[in-house]
Amino acid sequence: MLIQTLQLEKKVTTQEGILHILQPIDLAIEAGETVAIVGASGSGKSTLLALLAGLDIASSGQVLIDQVNLSALDEEQRAQLRAEKIGFIFQSFLLIPSLTALENVMLPAELAGQKNAEQQARELLVKVGLGERLTHYPNQLSGGEQQRVAIARAFIGTPKILFADEPTGNLDAATGRKIEDLLFAMNEQSGTTLVMVTHDSKLAQRCQRILTMEAGRLTEVPADVA
Amino acid sequence: MWHKISWRLLRQELKRGELTIMAAAIVLAVTAVLSLSLFTERLQAGLVSRSAEFLAADRVLSSRQPIAEEWIAQAEQFELRTAQRVVFNSMAFAQGQLALVDIKAVSDGYPLRGELRVAQMPYGTEESAGAQLPQPGEAWAASALFQELGLQVGDTIEIGQSEFTVARVLTYEPDVGFSVFTDSPNVLIRYDELAQTGLIQPGSRVRYHVLYAGTEVQLNAYYDWLAPQLNSDIHSWRGIEDGDSPLARSLQRAERFMLLASLLGVVLAATAVAVAAQRYCQRNYDVVAIIKTLGAGRRQIQNIFVLHLLLLTLFSIVIGLGLGWFIQAQVIDWVAVQLGTSLPEASAKPYLLATSTGLISALMFTLYPLLRLIQIPPLRVLNRQLAGTARWRWLHWLLSAGAIYALLLLYSQHVLLSSALFVGGALAAVVLLIISQCFIRVSRQAGMQAGSSWRLAMAGLQRRAQANRIQMLSFSTAIMLLLLVLALRHELLADWQRQLPADAPNYFVVNIAPQDVERLQQEFAARDISTADLYPVVPGRMTAVNGIPVRDEVTKEAAGDEADTATNNSEQREGFGRELSLTWRDSLPPNNQLLAGQWWQPDSTEGQVSVEADVAKRMRLQVGDMLEFNIGGHVFEVPITSIREVNWGTLQPNFFMIFNTAVLAEFPATFITSFNLPEPRKSELFELFKPFPQVSLIDLDALIGQLREVIDQVSLAIGFVLVLVLMAGILVLLAQVQASLDERQQELVILRTLGASSKLLNRSITYEFMILGALSGVIAALAMELVLWILQVQVFAMSASMHWRFWLIGPLSGAVVVAVLGRLACFGLVRQNAAELIRKLT
Repeated sequence: MLIQTLQLEKKVTTQEGILHILQPIDLAIEAGETVAIVGASGSGKSTLLALLAGLDIASSGQVLIDQVNLSALDEEQRAQLRAEKIGFIFQSFLLIPSLTALENVMLPAELAGQKNAEQQARELLVKVGLGERLTHYPNQLSGGEQQRVAIARAFIGTPKILFADEPTGNLDAATGRKIEDLLFAMNEQSGTTLVMVTHDSKLAQRCQRILTMEAGRLTEVPADVA
Repeated sequence: MWHKISWRLLRQELKRGELTIMAAAIVLAVTAVLSLSLFTERLQAGLVSRSAEFLAADRVLSSRQPIAEEWIAQAEQFELRTAQRVVFNSMAFAQGQLALVDIKAVSDGYPLRGELRVAQMPYGTEESAGAQLPQPGEAWAASALFQELGLQVGDTIEIGQSEFTVARVLTYEPDVGFSVFTDSPNVLIRYDELAQTGLIQPGSRVRYHVLYAGTEVQLNAYYDWLAPQLNSDIHSWRGIEDGDSPLARSLQRAERFMLLASLLGVVLAATAVAVAAQRYCQRNYDVVAIIKTLGAGRRQIQNIFVLHLLLLTLFSIVIGLGLGWFIQAQVIDWVAVQLGTSLPEASAKPYLLATSTGLISALMFTLYPLLRLIQIPPLRVLNRQLAGTARWRWLHWLLSAGAIYALLLLYSQHVLLSSALFVGGALAAVVLLIISQCFIRVSRQAGMQAGSSWRLAMAGLQRRAQANRIQMLSFSTAIMLLLLVLALRHELLADWQRQLPADAPNYFVVNIAPQDVERLQQEFAARDISTADLYPVVPGRMTAVNGIPVRDEVTKEAAGDEADTATNNSEQREGFGRELSLTWRDSLPPNNQLLAGQWWQPDSTEGQVSVEADVAKRMRLQVGDMLEFNIGGHVFEVPITSIREVNWGTLQPNFFMIFNTAVLAEFPATFITSFNLPEPRKSELFELFKPFPQVSLIDLDALIGQLREVIDQVSLAIGFVLVLVLMAGILVLLAQVQASLDERQQELVILRTLGASSKLLNRSITYEFMILGALSGVIAALAMELVLWILQVQVFAMSASMHWRFWLIGPLSGAVVVAVLGRLACFGLVRQNAAELIRKLT
């Protein structure tokens, strides 16, 4: 079991009282699986993603990544775990504007102290079709190209898990399809576990499992229904 | 690995211009401080060395007794140049007549600073004497002596037991001093011929001087050795900055002004750094969140950004040092050409100060934004509203205030001046917060009734209330500092102008016999020369205070045990050591101000005396004390009925003691007056005074020329300071405007998308900055008055005054400057179309 949650819960205190963003969730994801989490805006799917990735702390319950309980780790240790095992793709790409495409891709490997960061980054950028645009800055790239850089960055250091938050949400339909194809192809090649949050039911259907989030409750859609 | 990331971020951000404002702010701080302090130090060194001419040396040791040869020999050990000067009054005989003269016997090397000037005939064209002194058997004498004794160059005069050939006319001595009552003509002889005259006897009224020239280090080292051996009753050690002459006061005032101007530069630069640092860190919130998400620990982030900042700071400091040096070099060159003089090189101190200023400004002002930056949670990648904790805001204020005060203190080493500025700034901040809060409330209502441009402007102000309060603080500070410099410049220059009006007297006429007064006045009238009032002068000595004799010149009896007398009788006051010129008058003279007591009625019959304030202070005299005088053997007592402050800078006849008519009218008197005669008419003097051989003429032209030159240098320096502060102020404003650009961009996207015209947007932006500027100007004027009040009263010892025109200039200049700068800064923004803006934002 690569990812597991036990009674994972998130609530915040507001003026009106306690707001349950996530009701207790038990979830298990095996290594190599591709999982889509779908749901309406505000249903809590991004919160779940943040908890699974160790970006946020649960109110109660546990998240286990590779048998490691995230609640028992401090911020530094969670960062270390992300550096070693997790890659990210975001809707708004989140590239560093002052770094070139190559430097953006190199960043996670460098932070993890890997020595061949530049070589890996070059190869990945060639793989995503941006071999000619290594020295371009994000604002010199189209939306689709920026997301390709983000995908290359996500796969550097061969992470075990890839979290994707609406990866095609900011792209037009045609570009979105190309990015999806690239993402799934690379995922298949590397055997990474993919957890993806999306609105797009077509995109969700390309995953092996689909989970639906509704008002903080997570339910699994049986494969034959999806 | 983190250092690579740090270096890469810095390199790329520099290349892309992201760090321009931050770097420019540090460069500006260093440039301003370095150029100003280099210039100030070099100018001050220049002023002091020019002013040293007034002493004819860098330091002078004066004594009433001969100065030990050992002390002079020791000065040579310290590699100082020395010369000896002995000054006393005596009689000179020639052509069967006699005249009272001031003898000055000098050794080789005199003067150590400045030069002697001589002429071949009385009142003739002067030329430099170079390194020459009178040859053995020769004397040089002032024009007045030639006139008084009917001498020709080459004639012989008798002084004591010696005879001297008067070889040249002495026209200028650097150390002639400002006292107009050195009314006897000067005669210069050689020091080694002094003994032969037989005039120096125990008890003679003689002043012995050793003149010293050398570096400050050598002079201070020598003084450290000498000081324990000096007796303050006998010796005095003087530099140009001591003393009470108008020049010394001008120098002190100039020094304080320079100091103040430097402080303004520091505060402005620190403000620019603080604004830029905050913006810099805010712009990096996303970067930190991304890097944390990608697995960076807090320590890595900390290392990356601290190194980033250090590299940026060092890079900016190096550029700032280069630029600062270049600017001051240009200005110094220009000043040198203007003044026809070169200024000495500066020490390493300005470089150290500028570097520390750069480091302190960059590091102290960025510490809090950096702390917040490091704490940005990785979750910000999913929720852009998250901006870390703000719970240490107090730390920010503490660090900023501490850094500003530390910089002020470090730079000025003057606690009062630093505190005045600091308190002024703090007051401005508090007042600003209150006023801006009120204003924002009012604008909420006013905005609803205004036209659409005004409404948008008011809404903008309201929406950015918190940011605007901080911006107003900076705008107000900048405007306040500018107003302050303007006000001080005006006040100081006006004060100096008052000291030296264009028609300041350049000649004093003394020893006018009563029977000559009318004839002389007719001569003046015939030649259309206007004179100051005529003052009667009676020579007399002040002998006792409240019945206790004053300690005067060394007498034969007291010569041996003077020090004992001083310690045994603390009641005994130090006298003048010479005859005073006493006068009488019915009314308070112009340029005099009563500090205590009352001026007498013209017909008062009881004896009364009015004493000059500095003398009263030095001799611990008060209204009601009884002073005893001796005039030609006639001894009498009078009570002090008033204390006067005298403006010595006017070069009008001024007196330490003024009596009412009843006291002095019966004594035989001569008269004194002063007049202004332009240089081209100088040749008329000989003819004018030929019929009055006993009248003495004192030429102040040379003195005034020197003083004016010093003031010209100071005025130029003030001009430079003003330009520098103005530039620093404008850059702070630009940094402020830049800091609000991101938010404005977002608003413009919405307004543009909704169809707002360029005209409307332009106007609303202009009005918003205009209101911000005008309000800042009002606050600046208020704070400026407060600070100026403290400075005028406490620091510059001037009388306080309101400066109403600045209440108009402040808001007006604030509105215009901030509006123009704001419009220029937002120019590109308004011109972009909605699609471009949206793309930029996403």
